[in-house]
Amino acid sequence: MSGGAELGFTEHLFKVLVIGDHKVGKTSFVKRYVKNQFYEELKTTIGVDFSMKVIDWDSHTRVRLQLWDIAGQERLRGLNRVFFKRSSGALVVYDMTNGSTLDGALNWKHELDSQVMLKNGRPIPAVLLANKCDETKVCRRNASLLEKLCQEKGFIGWFQTSAKENINVDEAAKFLVKHILQNNEESVKEEEQNMQINLKQQSKSNSTCC
Amino acid sequence: MGYPPSGVQKSSVISEHCGHSVDSPVKLMVESSSSGGRGAEEGRPPPHIADVIDSKENTVQGMFSHTGTTQGEKGQLHSSQDHEVPESCDKVQHQTSNQPCGAKLPNGHAVKSSHPAGSYLNSEDNCVIANGELLADSRGGALDAVASAPPPQDASEDQTTSSEDPKDARNSVFNNTRSCSEGLSLRTFSSSTFLNTDSAPLSPDDDETFSSSDRPDDPSFTDVSLKPRNTYESSRRQSAPDNIPGVLSVAVADLTLSQRKHGISEIFSRNLFSRKQREAQSAPGWKLFGKVPLRESPPKDSKTIQQEYEAKVSKSGQRKNLEFEPLSTTALILEDRPANLPAKSEEEAQRHRQEYDEMVAEAKKRELKEAQKKKKQMKERFKQEESIVNAMVVWNNEILPNWESMRGTRRVRDLWWQGLPPNVRGKVWSLAIGNEMNITSDLYEIFLSRAKERWKSFRETGSEMESDADSADRESSLDLIKLDISRTFPPLFIFQKGGPYHDLLHSVLGAYTCYRPDVGYVQGMSFIAAVLILNLEEAEAFIAFTNLLNKPCQMAFFRVDHELMLKYFAAFEVFFEENLPRLFNHFKSSNLTPDLYLIDWIFTLYTKSLPLDVACRVWDVFCRDGEEFLFRTGLGILRLYEEVLLQMDFIHIAQFLTRLPEDTPSERLFSCIANTQMISGNRKWTQVFNALLKDKEMEKSSSPTVKNS
Repeated sequence: MSGGAELGFTEHLFKVLVIGDHKVGKTSFVKRYVKNQFYEELKTTIGVDFSMKVIDWDSHTRVRLQLWDIAGQERLRGLNRVFFKRSSGALVVYDMTNGSTLDGALNWKHELDSQVMLKNGRPIPAVLLANKCDETKVCRRNASLLEKLCQEKGFIGWFQTSAKENINVDEAAKFLVKHILQNNEESVKEEEQNMQINLKQQSKSNSTCC
Repeated sequence: MGYPPSGVQKSSVISEHCGHSVDSPVKLMVESSSSGGRGAEEGRPPPHIADVIDSKENTVQGMFSHTGTTQGEKGQLHSSQDHEVPESCDKVQHQTSNQPCGAKLPNGHAVKSSHPAGSYLNSEDNCVIANGELLADSRGGALDAVASAPPPQDASEDQTTSSEDPKDARNSVFNNTRSCSEGLSLRTFSSSTFLNTDSAPLSPDDDETFSSSDRPDDPSFTDVSLKPRNTYESSRRQSAPDNIPGVLSVAVADLTLSQRKHGISEIFSRNLFSRKQREAQSAPGWKLFGKVPLRESPPKDSKTIQQEYEAKVSKSGQRKNLEFEPLSTTALILEDRPANLPAKSEEEAQRHRQEYDEMVAEAKKRELKEAQKKKKQMKERFKQEESIVNAMVVWNNEILPNWESMRGTRRVRDLWWQGLPPNVRGKVWSLAIGNEMNITSDLYEIFLSRAKERWKSFRETGSEMESDADSADRESSLDLIKLDISRTFPPLFIFQKGGPYHDLLHSVLGAYTCYRPDVGYVQGMSFIAAVLILNLEEAEAFIAFTNLLNKPCQMAFFRVDHELMLKYFAAFEVFFEENLPRLFNHFKSSNLTPDLYLIDWIFTLYTKSLPLDVACRVWDVFCRDGEEFLFRTGLGILRLYEEVLLQMDFIHIAQFLTRLPEDTPSERLFSCIANTQMISGNRKWTQVFNALLKDKEMEKSSSPTVKNS
């Protein structure tokens, strides 16, 4: 998923899923992140809404994020499963004002892990977003609960966000991208190692062959 | 002043355009006039629609006499008045279209009741009026002409100018109207204007004004209570969004002033500007546009400036050579040098004058060009509207009475392809969709009351506490309906909470989940139901909705029969490759599968991705040709944008196709659809699809483990 290196400049293209129950604010989150806009009423997402965010990560890295904002209705979940493949990371969103959507988010995470994984078999990095935090506050007990959930369910972290008030939107995405980049480097290294092993094996076999 | 001829042209076209549908805006006006109270109390019969139209004619006449057109043209205009009323249905379309995709209402429905959308519309009108009035006043030129034109009420004019008591009742009226112009609803608007007419006789001098202003040579102006509406109407028409605002508002100003009636126009001019009027007669001074000046101080300012200006202008008569002054250049230019700066040298002054003249000439050219362009557009539009009117007559008089025998004929099919006139649209859709399910409006009532019960118990129990999964799902789908309704065509603000069709949409969808619990509510349904509600009465919309969703393609999608959906996608791809091989390969190499955009398109029947008026045209032919047409439309869209899409990568294509440009042109799209042949190697759509279905059966028999997701 990474582009070619040119004069030490790398461009990466990552597919990031935005999943969660309906009406938790996935599309609003994406709109805020990509366009820095907020609308009270957006059209329901049917299927997938696509967005692209280009990040100049540092002086020699550019990241292109393909955001796949997937329709939330339970009924359509089977349909949308096919959209999971080849994704590098996920933002799993729930609505802080609606407790049942947290369970939904955990289901989505479960589904995600069953559908996609990294090359090394580990789950793809996923961040849990407690959205609409402008409407309520997380008390400390909740915070520790979320912390625990993250560890149990294998999220790399959680953020309370508000697309409306633009709270933690960039931060959460940045956090995810950082992990995706790390994974990417690791997998590149692993590949290199594998290549070397292959080469060694090849040279060995070559030598024995003669 | 302006260009009278084009102004004339415009107004006649505007009055023509959208010449169909019945009486909604007028109905609205009549309603509000009777609610306006006093006019009715005084024993006048509530005005009839005909009256209103009549008065409108007069308005236009007034303008005509003022702008100096010939009788012949007047006659033309008259003929156009016959189908003038429904213009407002078009207005709704425009004004609600902050986001044109999905903004056009397919008919004039929305205007019927007083709801946010309606008041939105009306408040805008009010603003326009306010602007028009102000224009009238601040534009010395216009007033000049008005004053020199010989309305018989000059005497009344004098009276009004002399009676300038700030505590006068009219002042309060003025305030009312002002607050109206700041965005209140039509009701407020009309009631305040009524207040105006009725309160006028309270002061003695006004009584005189009244009698003197009742022109004996104008018999249709006897009903005083019509006058405010009259002015309102005229400015309404003038404010149709396609016009050149500058020119037209001048026209409005002229028109309202030349009428010299007791509309709000006069309140404005009498109270606020009458003093200025006289001064303005002698010289065009400042041309101040837009803002409403506050009552006391700003007029004073401009007054002094005017005086200074007058003095200067008499020296250098230069500007008077220009027979025409473009509004844009002269609008806010203080034409003289501020007093605190040293005088220009003769040379400099000469140069500046020259430069100024050049600028003016340039702007004049530009504006003329623009006006011509607009004129041409209006002509086209006019033609289009005319053909809609003609089509409407044919549909109503010939086709609908003989539906069964005519629906299949070549002529009807051709006419159908061209788009159904909005006011037969619903009827034709209903007939074409049919009622295989034998739903009646009684049945609808039953399901609706069941849904209502369920909502009630849902509200009482709170949430999905029930044990069995099925009911939990049902509850959540009730919950989902509520959430989704507000997300259906948000820019229309019709289905949102508090909007006029919010409850309707809720009812239709709720009744459907009771009628088909096996299907329930699936996202996307709200869009379909919404479009039907816009075109049909409640129960009819429900009948059409249930029958539409029962079609095989819709059933496959809304039951989320994934495998069957894949067959549809596969069939689509067959025709995609056949019709647009280059694009097909481009999509293939970008890994862009049709489900990425077809899910959105088919689930919502294009209502989400295409502009609403275009989507309705797609529905027209979808009702005629069935599911095949949905996929043909998809290919038409791809053909329309082929060149653009060929330049795009995966994410941009995906983005583009789920959010099609808001100005997707209906005519070009339909010619692209027409160029799309649904034939692949002698096989038609159904044959290709059935062949794929057979494959499915074979697959099934060979691998029984394939799961239905």
